[in-house]
Amino acid sequence: MQLELGKIKIEDIQFAAETKVFDSTLFINQEELLEIIGEDSRITNINLDIVHPGDSVRIIPVKDVIEPRVKVKGPGGVFPGFISSEEMVGSGRTHVLKGAAVVTTGEIVGFQEGIIDMSGPGAEYTPFSRFHNLVVDCDVKENIKQHEHEEILRMVGLKTASYLGKAAKDVEPDELETYEHKPFVEAAADYPSLPKVGYVYMLQSQGLLHDTYVYGVDAKEILPTLMSPTEIMDGAILSGNCVSACDKNATYVHQNNPVIEELYKYHGEKYNFMGVIITNENVTLADKERSSNFTAKLAEMLGLDAAVVSEEGFGNPDADLIMNSKKLAAKGIKTVLITDEYAGRDGASQSLADADPSADAVVTAGNANEVITLPPMEKVIGHQNFADVIAGGFDGSLEADGSISVEIQAITGSTNELGFNNLTARIY
Amino acid sequence: MVKEIERAGIPVVHVATVVPISMTVGANRIVPAVAIPHPLGQPDLGETEEKQLRKDIVEKALIALQTDINEQTVFSDDKE
Repeated sequence: MQLELGKIKIEDIQFAAETKVFDSTLFINQEELLEIIGEDSRITNINLDIVHPGDSVRIIPVKDVIEPRVKVKGPGGVFPGFISSEEMVGSGRTHVLKGAAVVTTGEIVGFQEGIIDMSGPGAEYTPFSRFHNLVVDCDVKENIKQHEHEEILRMVGLKTASYLGKAAKDVEPDELETYEHKPFVEAAADYPSLPKVGYVYMLQSQGLLHDTYVYGVDAKEILPTLMSPTEIMDGAILSGNCVSACDKNATYVHQNNPVIEELYKYHGEKYNFMGVIITNENVTLADKERSSNFTAKLAEMLGLDAAVVSEEGFGNPDADLIMNSKKLAAKGIKTVLITDEYAGRDGASQSLADADPSADAVVTAGNANEVITLPPMEKVIGHQNFADVIAGGFDGSLEADGSISVEIQAITGSTNELGFNNLTARIY
Repeated sequence: MVKEIERAGIPVVHVATVVPISMTVGANRIVPAVAIPHPLGQPDLGETEEKQLRKDIVEKALIALQTDINEQTVFSDDKE
Protein backbone atom coordinates (compact mmCIF):
# COMPACT_ATOMS: atom_id res chain seq x y z
CA MET A 1 0.00 0.00 0.00
CA GLN A 2 1.62 3.22 -1.16
CA LEU A 3 0.36 6.75 -0.70
CA GLU A 4 1.74 9.88 -2.29
CA LEU A 5 0.96 13.08 -0.40
CA GLY A 6 1.18 16.13 -2.62
CA LYS A 7 1.47 19.22 -0.48
CA ILE A 8 0.33 22.53 -1.94
CA LYS A 9 1.53 25.47 0.11
CA ILE A 10 -1.20 27.92 1.07
CA GLU A 11 -0.04 31.36 2.22
CA ASP A 12 -3.34 33.24 2.03
CA ILE A 13 -7.09 32.64 1.84
CA GLN A 14 -9.50 35.11 0.20
CA PHE A 15 -13.16 35.14 -0.77
CA ALA A 16 -13.55 35.40 -4.55
CA ALA A 17 -15.89 34.66 -7.45
CA GLU A 18 -14.38 31.24 -8.08
CA THR A 19 -12.98 28.56 -5.75
CA LYS A 20 -9.42 27.82 -6.86
CA VAL A 21 -5.81 27.74 -5.82
CA PHE A 22 -3.55 30.24 -7.55
CA ASP A 23 -0.07 31.37 -6.57
CA SER A 24 -0.27 29.81 -3.06
CA THR A 25 -3.59 31.57 -2.38
CA LEU A 26 -6.81 29.67 -1.77
CA PHE A 27 -9.75 31.58 -3.25
CA ILE A 28 -13.20 30.62 -2.00
CA ASN A 29 -16.58 31.20 -3.64
CA GLN A 30 -18.57 31.86 -0.49
CA GLU A 31 -22.04 31.45 -2.04
CA GLU A 32 -21.23 28.11 -3.65
CA LEU A 33 -19.74 26.76 -0.41
CA LEU A 34 -22.69 27.94 1.68
CA GLU A 35 -25.09 26.25 -0.70
CA ILE A 36 -23.31 22.92 -0.25
CA ILE A 37 -22.80 23.00 3.51
CA GLY A 38 -26.09 24.67 4.40
CA GLU A 39 -28.33 22.04 2.85
CA ASP A 40 -29.21 20.38 6.18
CA SER A 41 -32.69 21.68 7.08
CA ARG A 42 -31.75 21.75 10.79
CA ILE A 43 -29.25 24.57 10.09
CA THR A 44 -30.58 28.13 10.51
CA ASN A 45 -27.49 30.20 9.71
CA ILE A 46 -23.83 29.90 8.76
CA ASN A 47 -21.21 32.67 8.91
CA LEU A 48 -17.85 32.29 7.24
CA ASP A 49 -14.76 34.19 8.40
CA ILE A 50 -11.19 34.05 7.19
CA VAL A 51 -8.52 34.53 9.85
CA HIS A 52 -4.75 34.67 9.51
CA PRO A 53 -1.79 34.13 11.85
CA GLY A 54 -1.20 37.32 13.84
CA ASP A 55 -4.79 38.60 13.56
CA SER A 56 -6.32 39.99 16.75
CA VAL A 57 -9.00 37.31 16.71
CA ARG A 58 -10.34 34.83 19.25
CA ILE A 59 -12.40 31.82 18.12
CA ILE A 60 -14.54 30.30 20.89
CA PRO A 61 -15.89 27.65 21.40
CA VAL A 62 -13.95 25.67 18.79
CA LYS A 63 -15.36 22.26 17.94
CA ASP A 64 -13.01 20.79 15.34
CA VAL A 65 -10.17 21.71 13.01
CA ILE A 66 -9.88 19.92 9.67
CA GLU A 67 -7.29 19.97 6.89
CA PRO A 68 -8.64 20.17 3.31
CA ARG A 69 -7.45 17.17 1.30
CA VAL A 70 -8.57 15.50 -1.90
CA LYS A 71 -8.03 12.08 -3.42
CA VAL A 72 -6.37 12.52 -6.81
CA LYS A 73 -5.49 8.95 -7.81
CA GLY A 74 -6.38 5.54 -6.47
CA PRO A 75 -9.36 4.03 -4.69
CA GLY A 76 -11.74 5.80 -2.35
CA GLY A 77 -11.92 9.40 -1.24
CA VAL A 78 -11.34 11.54 1.82
CA PHE A 79 -13.32 10.95 5.05
CA PRO A 80 -14.56 7.46 4.09
CA GLY A 81 -17.87 6.50 5.63
CA PHE A 82 -19.00 10.13 5.77
CA ILE A 83 -18.05 12.09 2.66
CA SER A 84 -16.76 9.20 0.53
CA SER A 85 -17.84 5.58 0.32
CA GLU A 86 -16.56 2.78 2.55
CA GLU A 87 -13.83 2.00 -0.01
CA MET A 88 -10.45 1.42 1.67
CA VAL A 89 -8.20 4.49 1.50
CA GLY A 90 -4.48 5.01 2.03
CA SER A 91 -3.11 4.29 -1.43
CA GLY A 92 -2.75 6.28 -4.63
CA ARG A 93 -2.29 10.01 -4.39
CA THR A 94 -3.83 12.63 -2.11
CA HIS A 95 -3.38 16.39 -2.36
CA VAL A 96 -3.21 18.59 0.72
CA LEU A 97 -3.79 22.33 1.11
CA LYS A 98 -0.90 22.79 3.53
CA GLY A 99 -1.26 25.87 5.69
CA ALA A 100 -5.06 26.09 5.39
CA ALA A 101 -7.59 24.70 7.85
CA VAL A 102 -11.32 24.63 8.49
CA VAL A 103 -12.34 25.58 12.04
CA THR A 104 -15.90 24.85 13.18
CA THR A 105 -17.65 26.80 15.91
CA GLY A 106 -21.17 27.52 17.08
CA GLU A 107 -23.27 27.34 20.19
CA ILE A 108 -22.28 23.72 20.40
CA VAL A 109 -22.68 21.70 23.57
CA GLY A 110 -21.72 24.60 25.79
CA PHE A 111 -18.93 22.95 27.70
CA GLN A 112 -15.67 21.23 26.95
CA GLU A 113 -14.97 23.16 23.79
CA GLY A 114 -11.88 25.19 23.10
CA ILE A 115 -10.28 28.54 22.36
CA ILE A 116 -8.03 29.49 19.45
CA ASP A 117 -6.33 32.89 19.68
CA MET A 118 -4.66 33.94 16.43
CA SER A 119 -2.19 36.26 18.22
CA GLY A 120 -0.89 37.03 21.70
CA PRO A 121 0.15 34.55 24.40
CA GLY A 122 -2.77 32.18 23.67
CA ALA A 123 -1.61 31.77 20.08
CA GLU A 124 1.62 30.21 21.34
CA TYR A 125 -0.32 27.49 23.12
CA THR A 126 -2.49 26.37 20.22
CA PRO A 127 -0.93 24.75 17.15
CA PHE A 128 -3.83 26.03 15.01
CA SER A 129 -2.90 29.74 15.24
CA ARG A 130 -0.23 29.25 12.59
CA PHE A 131 -2.68 28.36 9.83
CA HIS A 132 -4.89 30.42 7.56
CA ASN A 133 -8.26 29.33 8.89
CA LEU A 134 -11.70 29.39 7.35
CA VAL A 135 -13.97 29.63 10.38
CA VAL A 136 -17.43 28.14 9.96
CA ASP A 137 -19.82 29.49 12.60
CA CYS A 138 -22.99 27.43 12.36
CA ASP A 139 -26.34 27.94 14.12
CA VAL A 140 -28.99 25.25 14.33
CA LYS A 141 -32.70 25.22 15.13
CA GLU A 142 -33.81 25.36 18.72
CA ASN A 143 -34.63 22.05 20.40
CA ILE A 144 -31.93 20.19 18.49
CA LYS A 145 -30.47 17.59 20.85
CA GLN A 146 -26.78 17.94 21.71
CA HIS A 147 -25.69 14.75 19.92
CA GLU A 148 -27.58 15.84 16.81
CA HIS A 149 -25.98 19.28 17.04
CA GLU A 150 -22.56 17.63 17.19
CA GLU A 151 -23.36 15.56 14.11
CA ILE A 152 -24.55 18.61 12.14
CA LEU A 153 -21.38 20.54 12.93
CA ARG A 154 -19.16 17.54 12.27
CA MET A 155 -20.69 17.11 8.80
CA VAL A 156 -20.51 20.85 8.05
CA GLY A 157 -16.79 20.76 8.85
CA LEU A 158 -16.12 17.67 6.75
CA LYS A 159 -18.13 18.99 3.81
CA THR A 160 -16.29 22.32 3.94
CA ALA A 161 -12.86 20.62 4.04
CA SER A 162 -13.87 18.29 1.22
CA TYR A 163 -15.17 21.20 -0.91
CA LEU A 164 -11.97 23.21 -0.39
CA GLY A 165 -9.80 20.14 -0.96
CA LYS A 166 -11.25 19.73 -4.46
CA ALA A 167 -9.58 23.02 -5.41
CA ALA A 168 -6.25 21.21 -5.01
CA LYS A 169 -7.08 18.44 -7.45
CA ASP A 170 -5.31 19.76 -10.56
CA VAL A 171 -2.68 21.87 -8.83
CA GLU A 172 0.97 20.85 -9.10
CA PRO A 173 2.15 20.17 -5.52
CA ASP A 174 5.10 22.06 -4.03
CA GLU A 175 6.23 18.88 -2.30
CA LEU A 176 5.56 15.24 -2.94
CA GLU A 177 6.09 12.67 -0.18
CA THR A 178 5.68 8.94 -0.53
CA TYR A 179 4.64 6.66 2.32
CA GLU A 180 4.61 2.91 1.94
CA HIS A 181 3.09 0.20 4.08
CA LYS A 182 3.97 -3.34 3.04
CA PRO A 183 2.26 -6.62 3.90
CA PHE A 184 3.52 -7.63 7.36
CA VAL A 185 5.55 -10.65 6.25
CA GLU A 186 7.42 -8.58 3.67
CA ALA A 187 7.82 -5.67 6.04
CA ALA A 188 9.32 -7.92 8.73
CA ALA A 189 11.75 -9.47 6.21
CA ASP A 190 12.93 -6.07 4.95
CA TYR A 191 14.98 -5.15 8.01
CA PRO A 192 15.58 -8.37 9.96
CA SER A 193 18.23 -6.79 12.19
CA LEU A 194 16.14 -3.81 13.29
CA PRO A 195 13.66 -3.85 16.17
CA LYS A 196 10.04 -4.09 15.05
CA VAL A 197 8.11 -1.09 16.34
CA GLY A 198 4.36 -0.54 16.25
CA TYR A 199 2.08 2.30 17.16
CA VAL A 200 -0.83 1.80 19.54
CA TYR A 201 -3.25 4.62 18.72
CA MET A 202 -5.82 5.05 21.50
CA LEU A 203 -9.04 6.73 20.32
CA GLN A 204 -11.43 8.62 22.58
CA SER A 205 -14.66 6.60 22.72
CA GLN A 206 -16.37 7.36 26.04
CA GLY A 207 -19.59 8.33 24.31
CA LEU A 208 -21.83 11.26 25.31
CA LEU A 209 -20.05 13.50 22.79
CA HIS A 210 -16.66 11.92 23.44
CA ASP A 211 -16.50 10.03 20.14
CA THR A 212 -14.11 9.16 17.33
CA TYR A 213 -15.05 7.58 14.02
CA VAL A 214 -13.20 5.00 11.93
CA TYR A 215 -14.49 4.62 8.36
CA GLY A 216 -17.79 5.93 9.68
CA VAL A 217 -17.95 3.49 12.62
CA ASP A 218 -18.13 4.81 16.16
CA ALA A 219 -14.83 3.67 17.73
CA LYS A 220 -16.57 2.48 20.89
CA GLU A 221 -18.05 -0.31 18.78
CA ILE A 222 -14.79 -1.62 17.35
CA LEU A 223 -12.47 -4.31 18.58
CA PRO A 224 -8.87 -3.12 18.31
CA THR A 225 -7.68 -3.64 14.77
CA LEU A 226 -4.76 -3.10 12.42
CA MET A 227 -4.47 -0.15 10.09
CA SER A 228 -1.97 1.10 7.59
CA PRO A 229 -0.65 4.49 8.69
CA THR A 230 -1.48 5.78 5.21
CA GLU A 231 -5.20 5.17 5.75
CA ILE A 232 -5.15 7.67 8.61
CA MET A 233 -3.66 10.34 6.30
CA ASP A 234 -6.78 10.07 4.09
CA GLY A 235 -9.11 10.86 6.98
CA ALA A 236 -10.12 7.28 7.88
CA ILE A 237 -10.13 8.40 11.52
CA LEU A 238 -11.91 11.60 12.44
CA SER A 239 -13.11 13.47 15.47
CA GLY A 240 -16.64 13.70 16.83
CA ASN A 241 -15.17 14.67 20.12
CA CYS A 242 -16.19 17.52 22.39
CA VAL A 243 -13.95 16.65 25.36
CA SER A 244 -11.36 18.94 26.91
CA ALA A 245 -9.95 21.02 24.13
CA CYS A 246 -6.32 20.72 25.13
CA ASP A 247 -5.91 16.99 24.58
CA LYS A 248 -8.60 15.88 22.17
CA ASN A 249 -7.34 14.96 18.74
CA ALA A 250 -8.92 17.30 16.22
CA THR A 251 -9.47 15.71 12.81
CA TYR A 252 -6.51 17.80 11.58
CA VAL A 253 -4.30 16.04 14.11
CA HIS A 254 -5.49 12.59 13.03
CA GLN A 255 -4.69 13.53 9.41
CA ASN A 256 -1.24 14.80 10.45
CA ASN A 257 -0.39 12.43 13.30
CA PRO A 258 3.17 13.41 14.33
CA VAL A 259 3.80 9.98 15.90
CA ILE A 260 3.20 8.34 12.54
CA GLU A 261 5.32 10.92 10.72
CA GLU A 262 8.16 10.46 13.20
CA LEU A 263 7.95 6.65 13.02
CA TYR A 264 8.23 6.87 9.23
CA LYS A 265 11.20 9.24 9.51
CA TYR A 266 13.61 6.64 10.90
CA HIS A 267 11.88 3.56 9.45
CA GLY A 268 14.53 1.24 8.00
CA GLU A 269 17.30 3.09 9.78
CA LYS A 270 16.69 2.91 13.53
CA TYR A 271 13.74 0.50 13.58
CA ASN A 272 11.21 -1.25 11.42
CA PHE A 273 7.83 0.56 11.65
CA MET A 274 5.35 -2.28 11.27
CA GLY A 275 2.01 -0.49 11.45
CA VAL A 276 -0.75 0.88 13.61
CA ILE A 277 -3.03 -0.83 16.12
CA ILE A 278 -6.07 1.32 16.83
CA THR A 279 -7.90 0.78 20.10
CA ASN A 280 -10.56 2.58 22.12
CA GLU A 281 -11.24 4.03 25.58
CA ASN A 282 -14.66 2.77 26.61
CA VAL A 283 -16.60 3.31 29.81
CA THR A 284 -16.97 -0.18 31.21
CA LEU A 285 -14.25 -2.21 32.85
CA ALA A 286 -15.02 -5.24 30.66
CA ASP A 287 -14.51 -3.13 27.51
CA LYS A 288 -11.27 -1.72 28.86
CA GLU A 289 -9.98 -5.19 29.71
CA ARG A 290 -11.08 -6.68 26.37
CA SER A 291 -9.62 -3.86 24.27
CA SER A 292 -6.27 -3.86 26.07
CA ASN A 293 -6.15 -7.68 25.78
CA PHE A 294 -6.76 -7.42 22.03
CA THR A 295 -4.16 -4.66 21.69
CA ALA A 296 -1.47 -6.75 23.38
CA LYS A 297 -2.49 -9.82 21.38
CA LEU A 298 -2.28 -7.95 18.04
CA ALA A 299 1.12 -6.54 19.03
CA GLU A 300 2.31 -10.06 19.79
CA MET A 301 0.91 -11.41 16.50
CA LEU A 302 2.84 -8.67 14.66
CA GLY A 303 6.01 -9.77 16.45
CA LEU A 304 6.59 -6.28 17.85
CA ASP A 305 9.66 -5.62 19.98
CA ALA A 306 8.43 -2.22 21.06
CA ALA A 307 5.40 0.06 20.79
CA VAL A 308 4.63 3.74 21.11
CA VAL A 309 1.27 4.20 22.87
CA SER A 310 -0.62 7.51 22.69
CA GLU A 311 -3.59 8.41 24.88
CA GLU A 312 -6.48 10.74 24.02
CA GLY A 313 -8.09 12.68 26.82
CA PHE A 314 -7.48 12.07 30.51
CA GLY A 315 -9.03 10.62 33.65
CA ASN A 316 -10.43 7.15 33.14
CA PRO A 317 -8.53 6.73 29.82
CA ASP A 318 -5.42 6.77 32.03
CA ALA A 319 -6.63 3.30 33.11
CA ASP A 320 -6.70 2.14 29.46
CA LEU A 321 -3.21 3.59 28.97
CA ILE A 322 -1.84 1.74 31.98
CA MET A 323 -3.61 -1.52 31.01
CA ASN A 324 -2.01 -1.30 27.55
CA SER A 325 1.36 -0.62 29.16
CA LYS A 326 1.11 -3.55 31.60
CA LYS A 327 -0.19 -6.06 29.06
CA LEU A 328 2.36 -5.14 26.37
CA ALA A 329 5.15 -5.32 28.96
CA ALA A 330 3.90 -8.74 30.10
CA LYS A 331 4.47 -9.98 26.54
CA GLY A 332 8.02 -8.62 26.55
CA ILE A 333 7.15 -5.63 24.35
CA LYS A 334 8.81 -2.40 25.42
CA THR A 335 6.62 0.68 25.51
CA VAL A 336 6.87 4.43 25.41
CA LEU A 337 3.68 6.17 26.54
CA ILE A 338 2.60 9.64 25.45
CA THR A 339 0.16 11.47 27.70
CA ASP A 340 -0.40 14.83 29.34
CA GLU A 341 -0.78 15.78 32.99
CA TYR A 342 -3.44 17.12 35.34
CA ALA A 343 -1.06 17.86 38.14
CA GLY A 344 -2.89 20.83 39.66
CA ARG A 345 -2.20 24.49 39.08
CA ASP A 346 1.08 24.24 40.99
CA GLY A 347 2.05 20.98 39.26
CA ALA A 348 2.44 19.21 42.60
CA SER A 349 -0.42 16.67 42.39
CA GLN A 350 -0.42 13.17 40.94
CA SER A 351 -0.37 13.60 37.13
CA LEU A 352 -2.41 10.58 36.03
CA ALA A 353 -5.35 8.72 37.56
CA ASP A 354 -3.49 5.41 37.36
CA ALA A 355 0.11 4.24 37.44
CA ASP A 356 2.22 1.10 37.13
CA PRO A 357 5.96 0.30 37.26
CA SER A 358 5.79 -0.93 33.63
CA ALA A 359 5.20 2.70 32.59
CA ASP A 360 8.89 3.53 32.85
CA ALA A 361 9.23 5.60 29.66
CA VAL A 362 6.62 8.35 29.47
CA VAL A 363 6.52 11.51 27.40
CA THR A 364 4.37 14.37 28.68
CA ALA A 365 2.68 16.99 26.52
CA GLY A 366 2.34 19.43 29.42
CA ASN A 367 0.28 20.18 32.54
CA ALA A 368 -3.28 21.09 31.48
CA ASN A 369 -4.06 22.77 34.84
CA GLU A 370 -1.66 25.67 34.37
CA VAL A 371 -3.48 29.00 34.35
CA ILE A 372 -3.03 31.65 31.68
CA THR A 373 -4.59 35.06 31.10
CA LEU A 374 -5.56 35.72 27.50
CA PRO A 375 -5.76 39.45 26.71
CA PRO A 376 -8.82 40.82 24.89
CA MET A 377 -8.92 40.51 21.09
CA GLU A 378 -10.31 43.05 18.63
CA LYS A 379 -12.64 40.44 17.18
CA VAL A 380 -14.36 37.43 18.72
CA ILE A 381 -15.83 34.77 16.45
CA GLY A 382 -18.36 32.52 18.13
CA HIS A 383 -19.61 32.99 21.67
CA GLN A 384 -17.19 34.22 24.34
CA ASN A 385 -19.78 33.87 27.10
CA PHE A 386 -18.83 30.17 27.10
CA ALA A 387 -15.46 31.04 28.70
CA ASP A 388 -16.87 30.49 32.20
CA VAL A 389 -18.22 27.03 31.44
CA ILE A 390 -15.81 25.33 29.04
CA ALA A 391 -13.53 22.75 30.66
CA GLY A 392 -10.60 24.70 32.05
CA GLY A 393 -12.73 27.78 32.55
CA PHE A 394 -14.35 28.81 35.82
CA ASP A 395 -16.85 31.28 37.17
CA GLY A 396 -15.32 34.69 36.48
CA SER A 397 -12.99 33.50 33.71
CA LEU A 398 -14.34 36.18 31.37
CA GLU A 399 -13.43 39.71 32.49
CA ALA A 400 -15.45 42.80 31.55
CA ASP A 401 -12.68 43.96 29.17
CA GLY A 402 -12.86 40.66 27.24
CA SER A 403 -9.74 39.09 28.71
CA ILE A 404 -10.05 35.49 29.84
CA SER A 405 -8.24 33.65 32.63
CA VAL A 406 -8.37 29.92 32.10
CA GLU A 407 -6.44 26.73 32.62
CA ILE A 408 -4.63 25.88 29.38
CA GLN A 409 -7.02 22.91 29.27
CA ALA A 410 -9.39 25.33 27.51
CA ILE A 411 -7.00 26.05 24.64
CA THR A 412 -7.48 23.84 21.59
CA GLY A 413 -4.57 21.43 21.20
CA SER A 414 -2.39 22.92 23.95
CA THR A 415 -1.42 19.57 25.50
CA ASN A 416 -2.08 17.33 22.50
CA GLU A 417 -0.99 13.80 23.34
CA LEU A 418 0.29 13.05 19.85
CA GLY A 419 2.85 15.82 20.25
CA PHE A 420 1.00 18.12 17.85
CA ASN A 421 1.58 20.98 20.28
CA ASN A 422 4.25 23.31 21.53
CA LEU A 423 4.69 22.00 25.09
CA THR A 424 6.67 19.27 26.75
CA ALA A 425 8.76 18.75 29.88
CA ARG A 426 12.41 17.87 29.90
CA ILE A 427 14.79 16.96 32.67
CA TYR A 428 18.04 18.94 32.54
CA MET B 1 -11.96 10.70 49.96
CA VAL B 2 -12.12 6.95 50.56
CA LYS B 3 -8.73 7.01 52.25
CA GLU B 4 -9.42 10.09 54.36
CA ILE B 5 -12.71 8.69 55.71
CA GLU B 6 -10.99 5.41 56.56
CA ARG B 7 -8.19 7.31 58.26
CA ALA B 8 -10.86 8.66 60.60
CA GLY B 9 -11.69 5.06 61.53
CA ILE B 10 -14.83 4.60 59.45
CA PRO B 11 -14.76 1.67 56.99
CA VAL B 12 -15.57 2.58 53.39
CA VAL B 13 -16.73 0.67 50.32
CA HIS B 14 -15.65 2.21 47.06
CA VAL B 15 -18.24 1.52 44.35
CA ALA B 16 -16.21 2.19 41.21
CA THR B 17 -16.27 1.29 37.54
CA VAL B 18 -12.55 1.37 36.90
CA VAL B 19 -11.42 -1.07 39.57
CA PRO B 20 -7.70 -0.80 38.69
CA ILE B 21 -7.73 2.94 39.52
CA SER B 22 -9.50 2.17 42.79
CA MET B 23 -6.75 -0.37 43.54
CA THR B 24 -4.01 2.13 42.63
CA VAL B 25 -5.40 4.83 44.89
CA GLY B 26 -5.60 2.33 47.74
CA ALA B 27 -9.28 1.62 48.42
CA ASN B 28 -9.67 -1.46 50.62
CA ARG B 29 -13.19 -2.62 49.85
CA ILE B 30 -14.13 -2.26 46.18
CA VAL B 31 -17.46 -3.08 44.54
CA PRO B 32 -17.41 -2.85 40.71
CA ALA B 33 -19.94 -0.44 39.19
CA VAL B 34 -21.67 -0.60 35.80
CA ALA B 35 -20.08 2.14 33.68
CA ILE B 36 -18.45 5.53 34.16
CA PRO B 37 -21.41 7.65 32.98
CA HIS B 38 -23.88 5.54 34.97
CA PRO B 39 -22.14 3.72 37.85
CA LEU B 40 -25.32 2.35 39.43
CA GLY B 41 -27.62 2.41 36.43
CA GLN B 42 -28.04 0.57 33.16
CA PRO B 43 -30.09 2.49 30.59
CA ASP B 44 -30.40 -0.65 28.41
CA LEU B 45 -32.56 -2.32 31.06
CA GLY B 46 -36.24 -1.76 31.79
CA GLU B 47 -37.23 0.23 34.87
CA THR B 48 -37.87 -2.79 37.10
CA GLU B 49 -34.69 -4.57 36.08
CA GLU B 50 -32.62 -1.43 36.54
CA LYS B 51 -34.04 -0.87 40.02
CA GLN B 52 -33.15 -4.45 40.92
CA LEU B 53 -29.62 -3.93 39.57
CA ARG B 54 -29.19 -0.83 41.72
CA LYS B 55 -30.47 -2.68 44.75
CA ASP B 56 -28.09 -5.59 44.10
CA ILE B 57 -25.07 -3.28 43.92
CA VAL B 58 -26.03 -1.40 47.08
CA GLU B 59 -26.66 -4.65 48.96
CA LYS B 60 -23.34 -6.01 47.82
CA ALA B 61 -21.70 -2.83 49.09
CA LEU B 62 -23.43 -3.21 52.47
CA ILE B 63 -22.22 -6.80 52.74
CA ALA B 64 -18.70 -5.70 51.80
CA LEU B 65 -18.83 -3.10 54.55
CA GLN B 66 -19.45 -5.83 57.13
CA THR B 67 -16.86 -8.25 55.78
CA ASP B 68 -13.52 -8.57 57.56
CA ILE B 69 -10.61 -8.24 55.16
CA ASN B 70 -6.82 -8.48 55.41
CA GLU B 71 -5.94 -6.93 52.06
CA GLN B 72 -7.46 -4.85 49.24
CA THR B 73 -10.52 -6.84 48.20
CA VAL B 74 -12.73 -6.61 45.11
CA PHE B 75 -16.26 -7.90 45.78
CA SER B 76 -17.24 -9.05 42.28
CA ASP B 77 -19.23 -11.92 40.83
CA ASP B 78 -16.13 -13.12 39.04
CA LYS B 79 -16.55 -14.79 35.70
CA GLU B 80 -14.57 -18.03 35.58
